[in-house]
Amino acid sequence: MFERGAVGMERFRADGFDEFVAARWSTLLHVARLLTGGDRQRAEDLVQEALVKLWFAWPKVAEQAPDAYVRQILVRMAARSARRRWWGERPMGELPDRPGPGDFSSAVAERSRLEAALALLPPRQRAAVVLRYCEDLPESQVAQALGCPVGTARSHASRGVARLRQILSDSVRPVR
Amino acid sequence: MDDFERELTRMMRDSRQQAPFAPESRRRLYDGIRARRRSRTLWKAGGSALAVTGLGIGLALLPATGSRPADHRPLPATSPTPPPAPPTPTTSAPSTSQPPTSTPGTTMSGTTAPGYGGTPTSPPPSATPGAGSRTTTPRTPPVSSLPPTAPPSTEPARGPSASAGDASAGSG
Repeated sequence: MFERGAVGMERFRADGFDEFVAARWSTLLHVARLLTGGDRQRAEDLVQEALVKLWFAWPKVAEQAPDAYVRQILVRMAARSARRRWWGERPMGELPDRPGPGDFSSAVAERSRLEAALALLPPRQRAAVVLRYCEDLPESQVAQALGCPVGTARSHASRGVARLRQILSDSVRPVR
Repeated sequence: MDDFERELTRMMRDSRQQAPFAPESRRRLYDGIRARRRSRTLWKAGGSALAVTGLGIGLALLPATGSRPADHRPLPATSPTPPPAPPTPTTSAPSTSQPPTSTPGTTMSGTTAPGYGGTPTSPPPSATPGAGSRTTTPRTPPVSSLPPTAPPSTEPARGPSASAGDASAGSG
């Protein structure tokens, strides 16, 4: 009887949870990918871990703000994993193809350029920029996700944008 | 928001890829949830086992540690009785040996003895025989060793004053 009750409760929990995940999966993956500087595998791992944590907190969070909860977990885990390991260089068997001019994959090239530039930022600046410009969050929510005062979050975002401006302008500058 | 920031926003939003929540992703997610739940259960079980073990050990050690001071407490309580003892009329000889023995225990006597006014009646825990009792036997005044507390049946051979002295030493 207890088992049946637990299963029923889990099913009830899974219903709302599944809907939430299905609706937000793509966005979460995209944000995680930007937060990791374009590392797709690591982004998937981050989303997976964040959603596992969300599952256990779902009864408490579901009625309030699951988006903010997951965002906060993602930001913290991305910063932590960036501190923990060196992700910048990976051995590969084959070199990836570079997109040619006028190639249909110019969008891919632009995305790669953006992700490479983001990867050069410190984790907190990167998170502030992503949340501010990609998720279009107000500064207060960015600060909440970063776990810092609003002024600090604003400072992170502005410094990140300034650094990105420099990196991207350097990368666009024609080579003589 | 300047041009660059607008461009940055556009780049970030355009780079979004539609990735549906595929059944494989769902299966992987629920596998992770199950694994996490298992590990949480194990952690909880291990934590409660540790807590129970710690409590058990603590409870087992608590009486042992608590009994030690109780054992030692009577010993100083016996020696201090002499200092407040002004009545030295009967036995003058043992009174000479008071200062050396009683000085270390005066602090304890200050707490216990004054209430009795130099007539140690019967602190039961000090009934244990020991060196302390021997040293104090002669010091105790025979006058104060009135029978109410002294068990006379233990040493019938001695005289009334000696038995009282023993009793007071044992008690006091």
